[in-house]
Amino acid sequence: MATEVIGSTEQYNFEIVKKFSIMAVVWGLIGMSIGVYIASELAWPMLNMDIPYITFSRFRPAHTTSVIFGFGGSALFATSYYIVQRTCQARLFGDGLATFTFWGWQAAIFLADISYMLGYTQSREYAEMEWPIDILIEVVWLSYLAVYVGTIMKRKQPHIYVANWFFLAFILATALLHTFNNLAVPISMFSMKSYSLFAGTQDAMTQWWYGHNAVGFFLTAAFLGMMYYFVPKQAGRPIFSYRLSIIHFWALVFLYMWVGAHHLHWTALPDWTSTLAATFSIMLLLPSWGGMINGILTLSGAWDKLRTDPVMRFLIVALSFYGMATFEGPLMALKDVNALSHYTDWTVGHVHSGALGWVAMITFGSMYHMIPRLWNTKIWSEKLIGTHFWLATIGVLLYITAMWISGITAGLMWRAYDQYGNLQYSFVDSVAAIHPLYVMRAVGGAFFLTGMVLMAINVFMTIRQGDREAARLRATSPTKMTAASA
Amino acid sequence: MSQDKKTRQAPQTTGHVWDGDLQEYNNPVPDWWLIAFYISIAAAVGYWLVFPAWPIGGTYTKGFDTITYVNDKGVTKTTHWNTRALFLKKTNEAVAAQKPYYTKIANTPFEQIAKDPDLNSFVISAGKALFSDNCAPCHQQGGGGKMGLAPNLTDDDWLYGGHFTQIQQTITNGRHGYMPPFKTVLNDTQMTELADYVLSFSKVPVNPASAQAGNALFHSETAACYYCHGADAKGRTVIGSKNLTDNIWLWANVPAAQTVADKENVIKNVIYHGLDKGVMPAWKDRLSADQIKLLTVYEHDLGGGQ
Repeated sequence: MATEVIGSTEQYNFEIVKKFSIMAVVWGLIGMSIGVYIASELAWPMLNMDIPYITFSRFRPAHTTSVIFGFGGSALFATSYYIVQRTCQARLFGDGLATFTFWGWQAAIFLADISYMLGYTQSREYAEMEWPIDILIEVVWLSYLAVYVGTIMKRKQPHIYVANWFFLAFILATALLHTFNNLAVPISMFSMKSYSLFAGTQDAMTQWWYGHNAVGFFLTAAFLGMMYYFVPKQAGRPIFSYRLSIIHFWALVFLYMWVGAHHLHWTALPDWTSTLAATFSIMLLLPSWGGMINGILTLSGAWDKLRTDPVMRFLIVALSFYGMATFEGPLMALKDVNALSHYTDWTVGHVHSGALGWVAMITFGSMYHMIPRLWNTKIWSEKLIGTHFWLATIGVLLYITAMWISGITAGLMWRAYDQYGNLQYSFVDSVAAIHPLYVMRAVGGAFFLTGMVLMAINVFMTIRQGDREAARLRATSPTKMTAASA
Repeated sequence: MSQDKKTRQAPQTTGHVWDGDLQEYNNPVPDWWLIAFYISIAAAVGYWLVFPAWPIGGTYTKGFDTITYVNDKGVTKTTHWNTRALFLKKTNEAVAAQKPYYTKIANTPFEQIAKDPDLNSFVISAGKALFSDNCAPCHQQGGGGKMGLAPNLTDDDWLYGGHFTQIQQTITNGRHGYMPPFKTVLNDTQMTELADYVLSFSKVPVNPASAQAGNALFHSETAACYYCHGADAKGRTVIGSKNLTDNIWLWANVPAAQTVADKENVIKNVIYHGLDKGVMPAWKDRLSADQIKLLTVYEHDLGGGQ
């Protein structure tokens, strides 16, 4: 046993995976805490406390950046480095470069959050970082690409496992999106302020080409990569269909790139662009579902695991939310539905059914699978995973139900006319009407955050337990240790 | 695909194995998935035929759907479906429904509007949203006002006058109230005396001697309060100076102050620093003359119109 452990730490670079895993939990705590706080600010504005650094406007990008890039990004680095090594049967290419991606990425998120709170922003959603941070991210990302491709190139397996296709697509597309969306001219070498290279409608189009593909490649393709490894591993069964994985992979990466403009329906955008975005969104539904059914059907024949295995529950519920959110997305991309849903909380609810229901849940499941294996121990508490699962599920349901009702209520109020053709409600009326739902959303978020706190405790205790077992092992088998280190 | 039947019953893996036990079945793509995918593609193609869709050189495919609308010159036009035409069509319909009412409002004297039940219903209907979206941010929903920000519009206390024409003037051109600071003119005792004089109108139990001294100071050339607030301290609507005798407060939060000393202090604070925040913006560039007239009637009817 001991030799096997020592062998595997040499065979694979798990140090980097451990670092990213820990930071995923840390950023999850930070990002979700800010999320609950800003949700509360919307419900009770006095929580802004007239402190500029923590007003909703500055805290909101700190929330999205911390959860998407801090929590989600660190989890993706961790799982992709783990998966690519294990499925290629090769140690990560470039230990130093991989370590650089860790420190570089963490620094970028940290600096981004601080700069938002100080008032620096590019005003591009999910790409608010100003140009110096963008350059840091660019360098980190190209290093990531090099590490990933380098590892695949030295693989000892003839075939590249499906999870790696998704990760590679994610890394390539993100590099492309990040580069072009952030083309900007700084006002001087020593100023944080810059202006976009694009103007007007083109600027908006570039932003949403980026914005939606951040969802498509960062929050979908990459997490499908995670799914394609951890679902069959946890279920102990082969992937349902290799052919389906090929078809839905190519359909997904081809179609996603076209749909960003559906965020700009009923604006100065040309009508034809709007139509193309809507129709490609419709065509994207089944390719998105391909990943869901491949994951869920992988479990068929082992459904009993859902009763006994809380990790499996996380993975399957994540896939269910993924299926629901990717059905809702094309629906909202239709111009007539969008006329109701746009600028309302329905959009916010949709994003969170994807972000909490899919991205966070699949991450929780994967981390609960991976962390005990990284520290070569068992999870500290299975029961706590079960509690986390229910807190997270109730939290998501409260959150998205509140936002659906709030969004549709506000949307209907804004378009209501009386018999004279006058607006029936003012904007303030709609704000008053949705206030209770803002409270409900904050409560849902608090549930989700509580689950995250339980996870942090569980992970911390698991790591401590793993370290203690390793220390005990070293003490009892000195000869083997000497042999291994020689 | 008959040979698939056998493989479906006993699925085969692709033969690749990763990381010890990771494998893939070679199951065919489910039929329902494939059919649904083809249907979604067909739906997209159908959509392209109906609406503007594909760019070709400097133009684009227009689609079969058309929109008939009346443009702003009154000419009926038919074009391919586009959001601009749809917008004109819908807004023209709404504007056409409202136009008779606005024409009637423009041609009816203020006093007569409230007496016409149908016209009055229209004023309430249109005024509610206009008021809420434009006035309520300061004057609050319902027009109750907010201490330290904007006056109550539902009482009969008027800074600039509550007659129709005065309200119309206020909305159209805005207002800017100003009171100079007296910190270099008066000492602390004098300001206390003035505060006591003002508070005595509101039946606050102040020191009568001090209030008496304040009375003298108020009408003296040293403080010269009466220049703006008038010899009777009831204010002058021409310049929007506050009536100090009616126990209605806007800038000095007297009701919230508990003790007499606190009440004196909030008034002394105004005297000391003066006031330059009584700014109401002009709405003439934002609302039409007809909308302002309508809002004037709506506002007048909120209560207390003169």
